[in-house]
Amino acid sequence: MKIFFTKVPDPIIRLVIVFGVFFGVILFVRGFVIPKELKEKGIHRTSAIERELASEIHYAGSGICAECHDEEYDLKNEGYHQKLSCEVCHGPAMEHTEEPDDFTPPAPRQRKFCPECHTYNPSRPTGFPQINPVAHNPLRPCIDCHNPHDPKPLTVPRECSACHAQIAITKAGSHHVMLECTVCHDTPDEHKSTPRLIRAGKPVKRDLCASCHDKDSGVKEVPKIDVYTHGEKYVCWQCHSPHMPEVNHE
Amino acid sequence: MSIELVDKLTELLKQVTGFIYPNEIQIHWTLLIVVYPYITGLVAGAFILASLVKVFNVKEVQPTYRLAMLTALAFLIVAPLPLLLHLGHPERSYEIFLTPNLSSAMAMFGFVYAWYLMLVLLLEIWFEYRKDMVLWGKTEKFPMNWFYKILSLFSTDISEKAVAFDKKAVKAITIVGIPSAFILHGYVGFIFGSVKANPWWSSVLIPIVFLFSAIVSGIAIVLLLYMIITTSRGKQIDMKCLDRVASFLLYAVIVDFSLEVLDFIHRLYESEESITIITTMVLNKLSISLIVMQILLGMLLPLGILIIVKIFRFNQELRKLLYFVSAIMIQIGIFSTRWNVVIGGQMFSKSFRGLLTYKMEIFGLEGLLMAVFLLILPFLILTVLLKVLPPWGKNNETNTT
Repeated sequence: MKIFFTKVPDPIIRLVIVFGVFFGVILFVRGFVIPKELKEKGIHRTSAIERELASEIHYAGSGICAECHDEEYDLKNEGYHQKLSCEVCHGPAMEHTEEPDDFTPPAPRQRKFCPECHTYNPSRPTGFPQINPVAHNPLRPCIDCHNPHDPKPLTVPRECSACHAQIAITKAGSHHVMLECTVCHDTPDEHKSTPRLIRAGKPVKRDLCASCHDKDSGVKEVPKIDVYTHGEKYVCWQCHSPHMPEVNHE
Repeated sequence: MSIELVDKLTELLKQVTGFIYPNEIQIHWTLLIVVYPYITGLVAGAFILASLVKVFNVKEVQPTYRLAMLTALAFLIVAPLPLLLHLGHPERSYEIFLTPNLSSAMAMFGFVYAWYLMLVLLLEIWFEYRKDMVLWGKTEKFPMNWFYKILSLFSTDISEKAVAFDKKAVKAITIVGIPSAFILHGYVGFIFGSVKANPWWSSVLIPIVFLFSAIVSGIAIVLLLYMIITTSRGKQIDMKCLDRVASFLLYAVIVDFSLEVLDFIHRLYESEESITIITTMVLNKLSISLIVMQILLGMLLPLGILIIVKIFRFNQELRKLLYFVSAIMIQIGIFSTRWNVVIGGQMFSKSFRGLLTYKMEIFGLEGLLMAVFLLILPFLILTVLLKVLPPWGKNNETNTT
């Protein structure tokens, strides 16, 4: 042994000692200082899994809702929102499943909720229903026109759209979406066969708009004016666009 | 996401051209990731120059040997800092070293780095300086004598046999060191070249191009340092050495240039679907940094100068000036190369239909000032190393090893 050490050059012995100490310190730190869990080979540390398992459960999962709300559940499962879980819109409902009377999950009725998914964004897939929330029926809550459990796109009256497609598209996003064209326009049958000879009529009096928008009309949720003082001698459509009536956003 | 970040990204959004995916607007690998391959390249290049003396017996370059080794060490010490700062929590870095991840390609840098630092550079410098350190341990005053004694690991043997063993050890380590230097910087190229989703990076040529640009920048930095340090010490520059280093620089530039041209032609001929957006990017976003700075200023001009110096034997002063200028231009060019690879690879959308913009920060962990600090730091470390381990000996005697 002694001969062996005399044959090994002196610097090598010194370096081996230095490296030995260095690796010894590393092995010591790894062996005794670093907590065991940091050295686990798995993707997740056991302690992390235990911590997650111990945390409070907030979401109940969509299946359990069907036990009481089967009607809404079945309707949803047949429509476009079939892949959405109830809690996507209604929020975490574990508490509700445990104490149905004491805790009611919220139902988002405000307009700001649906555009989270349905605002126009070029990265969304083709065919995904997307709107411009500023121009699309402003201020009105989405659920006024769309049933969130069965969100079919509304069918706009379309008998005129074969020729007047541009107007139909404009109107489809406006407050007047559900008004048939013939509510305002007087259209003789001949207009359909000889549209250039027999023209469709436009309202010539203010009474038509006033039937909804006059302050004394019984229609709710529409802007009201005093038809006798507002706009003087002009017919309404000379200032307002009836296919996309402007909205005061304030 | 902080409000400042949203404001910054909104500002960048206006400069986007064409179509990009929503998550591409923020460029994640920033200026520090440009600094990282640049510094690592200098390490590998400086070591390759040093190995010319020991392995290939190029005697003329001997005066730069120790300087090259110390330069490589100074830059290697700084090399991991840009990465640790970029990750955001440099103070947690010890956790990486204590719990290494053997299956991560990124974590491999730790092993490559540790191997190169401990088993190549430090060992070679230790063997190279052992005799000197033993002598300085005897002749220096307290406390430096103890410092040298500790550095030499208290070895005292400076017999001919022991010194001969040191030389043998240095040669053996250099032989191991050359492939190690190739692995060190080849690895940096590999990290980019293996990102198969990015057509600007994904190329098997990238590690090799990185390697040769590293050799170019490493030789150039040692040439610059040798000229500056020798002049500031009031000594004569060894023109034989300088000419030889410049010749090696020229050869390295030629190989590097050919490889880059090869890569360029290869991309053009392959004409994959990404070629349109890459061409647009090169002609618009990278026109200054790639065409002007990397190719014209950083490659063709120094190449021309070095060839002209080789053909016409100018007088010494003019040669020094031209070498100096071309070495500086090469540094600018290689830094631009790193910039173009790292930032360029993130400036086009993966949809191949749009281009983005990178806005550099000034302050902060990943800002310009930090990058400048990291580029100055190796020179400060080198100054200390040159004071502690002067390549020219303690009494200004010429280096005899």
